[in-house]
Amino acid sequence: MLDRVDACGLACPQPVINASKALETNDSIIVIVDNQTALENIKRLAKSKERSVSCEMKSDGIYIVLEKKMAIETDLENNHEGIRNHASRDERVLVISQEVMGRGDNALAVILMKSFFHTIAETVPAPDAIILFNSGVKLLVDGSEVLEDIRLLEKRGLRILACGTCLDYFKLKDRLRAGHVSNMYEIKELMLTAS
Amino acid sequence: MILQNSYRVVLFKSVNQTMWAEKILREKGIPHKLIPVPRQISSDCGVCLRVESGQEEHVRNVLVNVEGFMEIVPL
Repeated sequence: MLDRVDACGLACPQPVINASKALETNDSIIVIVDNQTALENIKRLAKSKERSVSCEMKSDGIYIVLEKKMAIETDLENNHEGIRNHASRDERVLVISQEVMGRGDNALAVILMKSFFHTIAETVPAPDAIILFNSGVKLLVDGSEVLEDIRLLEKRGLRILACGTCLDYFKLKDRLRAGHVSNMYEIKELMLTAS
Repeated sequence: MILQNSYRVVLFKSVNQTMWAEKILREKGIPHKLIPVPRQISSDCGVCLRVESGQEEHVRNVLVNVEGFMEIVPL
């Protein structure tokens, strides 16, 4: 019987802290979470602690099983990781740091941003990723006038990274409609590998 | 000499609460640094305050009643 960590209803980063504590005394555990962000965080924890992950959606939550890996599995993954990181070099990355384009007249700045995203959506080949931080994350939430363009880009395989700290600051995490919640580590890595 | 694990991080529920706590530490003159929540803990939830481990109890006393205080964990 695996040790269970019920992390439903807990705010980030509590699920990870609880799971991390359980892993100190157990090789394998089950963590139950109720949201996607917690799932991603637990997966990342599993990676750093060299545990394999399998999950199952159930009516009362997402059940994540973390198990001790064989040494060979870890080696294979490390190799794979090396290849992936190498391939991600020379990506074309756009960085959007505010919800409008430029300073000056605000009404103008709003239409410039709309016009910009329309143009980006029509660009071939499209950039590889867009990073949005500070008030830029407001472009990814319900009611955003560029949401349709951004979704179109996402459908074509473009990665959209929304700064999680910023979504939290503006209290918009629940309203995110495109892209995935990211963090400073991922943003830094993508910026440094961009062409 | 730099000891391993010589830092602790103080976690809050939200960015705004972390900023508030940072202001308190600054006013009390307690050395600290605002950093992203370390990867191994979780990183989609923003920023936290790194403090010296020797200050842990002092920091806990100062911040424990601040809204949103969650935990102090080793870095």
